[in-house]
Amino acid sequence: MDNTIFRLQDVKFSYLGRYPALCGIDMEIVKGQRVAVMGANGSGKSTLLQMLDGLLFPDTGTIEAFGRTLNEKAFTDTEFNRYFRSKVGLVFQSSDVQLFCPTVKEELLFGPLQFGFAKTEIRSAFDTIVGLLDIEGLLDRMPHQLSVGEKRKVAIASVLMILPDIILLDEPTAGLDPRTSRELANFLARYHDENKTIITATHDLHIIEEIADIIYVIDQNRKIIRRGSPHELLEDTAFLEENNLIHSHLHRHEGMPHVHKHDHLSHYHHHS
Amino acid sequence: MRRNNFVERSLTGAISFLKDSVFADEYASAKGFLQSLDPRIKAFTFVLFVVTAILAKSAVICLILYSLCLALACLSGIHMGFFLKRTWIFIPIFSLFIAIPALFSIFTPGEAIFTMDVAGLKFIITRQGLSGAVLFVSRVVTAVSFVVLLSITTRHFALLKVLRVFGVPQIFVMTLGMCYRYIYLFLEIIQNTYLAIKSRVGTSLGYKKGQHIVAWNMSSLWQRSYYLNEEVYLAMLSRGYTGEPKLSEDLKSGARDWAWLIFSVAVSAFLLMAAGRGTV
Ligand SMILES: Nc1ncnc2c1ncn2[C@@H]1O[C@H](COP(=O)(O)OP(=O)(O)OP(=O)(O)O)[C@@H](O)[C@H]1O
Ligand SMILES: [Mg+2]
Repeated sequence: MDNTIFRLQDVKFSYLGRYPALCGIDMEIVKGQRVAVMGANGSGKSTLLQMLDGLLFPDTGTIEAFGRTLNEKAFTDTEFNRYFRSKVGLVFQSSDVQLFCPTVKEELLFGPLQFGFAKTEIRSAFDTIVGLLDIEGLLDRMPHQLSVGEKRKVAIASVLMILPDIILLDEPTAGLDPRTSRELANFLARYHDENKTIITATHDLHIIEEIADIIYVIDQNRKIIRRGSPHELLEDTAFLEENNLIHSHLHRHEGMPHVHKHDHLSHYHHHS
Repeated sequence: MRRNNFVERSLTGAISFLKDSVFADEYASAKGFLQSLDPRIKAFTFVLFVVTAILAKSAVICLILYSLCLALACLSGIHMGFFLKRTWIFIPIFSLFIAIPALFSIFTPGEAIFTMDVAGLKFIITRQGLSGAVLFVSRVVTAVSFVVLLSITTRHFALLKVLRVFGVPQIFVMTLGMCYRYIYLFLEIIQNTYLAIKSRVGTSLGYKKGQHIVAWNMSSLWQRSYYLNEEVYLAMLSRGYTGEPKLSEDLKSGARDWAWLIFSVAVSAFLLMAAGRGTV
């Protein structure tokens, strides 16, 4: 059996035909892989994830999912629409956009109800996911009135509720405090198994080792310029700096200020 | 400066009040009489009451229905202050445009009961004008109150579902659902933009500068809310939305619902008959 989930060939996309967002992306993602997409602001990460979720379609080039080409026509087929939407879940970059129900509880139930999952199945998924993300206390609240971190958890929970095999996350740790980011990374590491594919767009170097086996880096020209393991990438500080993923930093050591490269990763930061 | 602050405070207050009250869902999930009714039957009987209030050309009947409405609100655990504030907020708008001019003799000729002289112009309030205005206001109050009561005691998706049951086309219901979300986003953007401007330029803007910023804002406001709304739609699609509202519980009606339906029909029929005979 073919394990390829997504195959992108020379995908180009621009908004309104004027603002280029993806300029020739080639990718192949197989089942069970954990992928991180990195790149500076405006490099097209969100656009790419929305395309993988079948919400945007290439201007030129092709995107295939489960062996079928994705385009508007494919999604008019209700059978395929249902299959694809229940298999692939996207956590949007902005939780405000994603949360549109009056209460957190309804938010969680929205997806499963659309797919008409069985009541008992919904019930047990609900209990598990509420427990996993520890959002029991938020269930009756209005999503808009929550803090950024709480919203993020609810957004993630609402996507997990459709029990997707492929989870796309758009900067899941942005705006979260270090401990919550860490918890989220641990959660994703635990959640992953050979049947779950997790694709994360991020520029958080702290978590990529836990959440990804393969990293794609998109540069300012909105093309993939590198594909490699997290370890290999984190070693290459010159490359990271060039792509806005780390920055030089003024530091003070024993009263002596000096400038050095700094990526906020304590274990890559030795001074004797 | 002081006055400016007052206006500012009332405006921001109004926006957050609107946001909280239109979008609050707490009453819909509370336990109470109306919340326990089948939304279909509840919606039907409320429409019936509103129609009765409009057909019966009598302020007394409107007031009877209005009392019924308040009693139902009480039975459903709704805070009276909140409910009155929320309904009466609409009244001045309607009244100002229709009822007040109708009070006066130029619009409604008849027997004078009160005359006032303002800057050489004679304003005469006529008896016909006054009773017309009273009738009008009582109708508006009653109709608005029932609509508000229905919307705060019914969950958002249930309300949309009821529209579908009543045969409203799917595309219309879907648009309505989107509008609801859109208004919320819109209010929120106004609020945030206001805060952002305030933090950047402080509260005391010169008139010209203020005007400039407001004009700039209006155009970016539409754009931003448009994009946001589009993205909300994508987020709904992503989770399997096809335009049909789905509920966690099936709509079902029991003995209680039917009893309520019979009661409501009887009340409406009685009131309409009484109005027809001219007893009230
Ligand atoms: N709705 C839109 N209309 C026009 N241009 C857009 C729109 N959304 C994104 N773009 C443009 O497309 C490009 C890619 O945007 P995208 O949001 O995919 O970047 P990103 O990598 O997710 O950035 P960030 O790290 O800031 O989230 C940017 O240059 C952006 O200006
Ligand atoms: Mg982005």
